[in-house]
Amino acid sequence: MSDTIKTAGLLVRPTQDQPNTVDMKGFGAGEGSTLLISLATAVVLLTAWWLVARLGLVPRLFLPAPQEVLTQIGTVYRDGYAGASLGEHVSASLFRIAAAAAIAIASGIPIGLLMGLNRWAKGIFDTPIEFYWPLPPLAYLPLMIIWLGIGETSKVTLLVLAMFAPICLSAQAGVRSLPIERINAARSLGARHWQLLVSIVLPSALPEILTGIRIGFGVGWGTLVAAELIASNRGIGYMIMSASQFLATDVVFVGIGIIAACAFAFSLAVRILEATLVPWKGKI
Amino acid sequence: MLKVDHASVFFRARDGRTIHALDRVSLDIPDNSFVVALGASGCGKSTLLNAIAGFLPLSSGAITLDGRPVTRPGADRGVVFQKDTLLPWKSVLGNVALGLQFAGIPKPLRRARAKELLSLVGLKDFADAFPYELSGGMRQRVGIARSLAADPEVLLMDEPFGALDSLTREQMQELIISIWKATRKRIFFITHSIEEALFLGTQVVVMSPRPGRIVARFDLDFVSEFARTGDAGTIKTAPQFATLREEIRAILHGSDQIRSAAE
Repeated sequence: MSDTIKTAGLLVRPTQDQPNTVDMKGFGAGEGSTLLISLATAVVLLTAWWLVARLGLVPRLFLPAPQEVLTQIGTVYRDGYAGASLGEHVSASLFRIAAAAAIAIASGIPIGLLMGLNRWAKGIFDTPIEFYWPLPPLAYLPLMIIWLGIGETSKVTLLVLAMFAPICLSAQAGVRSLPIERINAARSLGARHWQLLVSIVLPSALPEILTGIRIGFGVGWGTLVAAELIASNRGIGYMIMSASQFLATDVVFVGIGIIAACAFAFSLAVRILEATLVPWKGKI
Repeated sequence: MLKVDHASVFFRARDGRTIHALDRVSLDIPDNSFVVALGASGCGKSTLLNAIAGFLPLSSGAITLDGRPVTRPGADRGVVFQKDTLLPWKSVLGNVALGLQFAGIPKPLRRARAKELLSLVGLKDFADAFPYELSGGMRQRVGIARSLAADPEVLLMDEPFGALDSLTREQMQELIISIWKATRKRIFFITHSIEEALFLGTQVVVMSPRPGRIVARFDLDFVSEFARTGDAGTIKTAPQFATLREEIRAILHGSDQIRSAAE
């Protein structure tokens, strides 16, 4: 008995209340939050921009100061730019991408699922998709304009084509990653064909489909702005293009800022959708 | 009565050779029976189960359930898989009620039925949990409850406890016996554990690989004894139990030696 007490006294020093906890040494970036580091980097970059403008290292024509861009946002918001208000430019762009996304999602998911399920569907749709998907959308924009005119139809069609392929291909990949045991289990519970599709195949493919939609929006934004630069009289891309022709660099900055904010908001929305629709992703 | 009559299965391998997976297997699963197929991996026991479930057509032979031929999977044959196949987006209750949902039973009714089954497998407090929040043993309990929900004629279990640790495994063996006793379902159970086969089966068929076939059959009573007494220790240490275990071990190893001598 007295032995035990002595040993315990040797092991646990009375001065230390908290034990010295240890952890396995990690490798790579690890799990720690990077938010503070990222914020600090942003502050450093903004300060560098402000300093460069302030010290006059680069002519104002090429690089306006941050505060000038801020004032310009107010001016463009009040007075509009290049024949339309800021709201009209932004809503023209948003309408195009929203309409295209709706069409691409509504057609890409069923066609992709069908391609994953049916050999004939895969054979038929593979040919056109594999042919046009690697092409940069701007390569066939002139063709769209010749066929469909300069209006909204050609731009929305271009965006649909750009966004369709990633959504369709990811839906197909979702079906292919479906474990056969899950299908067999549902069959032995009496699932009929359409019940398999609705209750098993579609939800199983949902994580992949959402990833495809996120990629689709990424491609969509890039294509949208480029299409507006070339052929449009409304939209954020058009605003940037006309500002650059008048060397209004601050307005160019405003346009880029708006695109960045919109793209970020869309990406965030899909992420939130992912967190609500597929909280089980990667857990089973 | 589920009847397997001279069932043979041939597969074509990737290199073009033909593999004889199941050789003229005949088997009856009468009412209230607990039939266990025992054998090393590759002896065709999973092939046999897949054929009974309707996942795999036979090359020759026939399988009938109460006289009707088995041609496709159906709710009259519940399957419990080794790997749990629960749907990760559905709660435990939703998973158990899945078969009832497919059958078009209204929601309040299937919730009530699923709750009954969850208390049968001892999980009534986990109805709203999601599969990824459960341990392996608990998931397998959900799988058993799910296959019982459609009220099948026979329960097919493909090494259901193979992935569980030995303590959980013993609990699950006792659970499945209590379920068998309570529901009087016919059970066809696959295992590679001799002890599990002896403890659970009213009939044990010993299978041997290349080609997969039945090499011995035993009619047993240990499971009824356990259902009566609830004392697993006495049964597993009884001399008859040990004798049978060694006899089956000799058969399994013997068929190994015959094969290696032939090669």
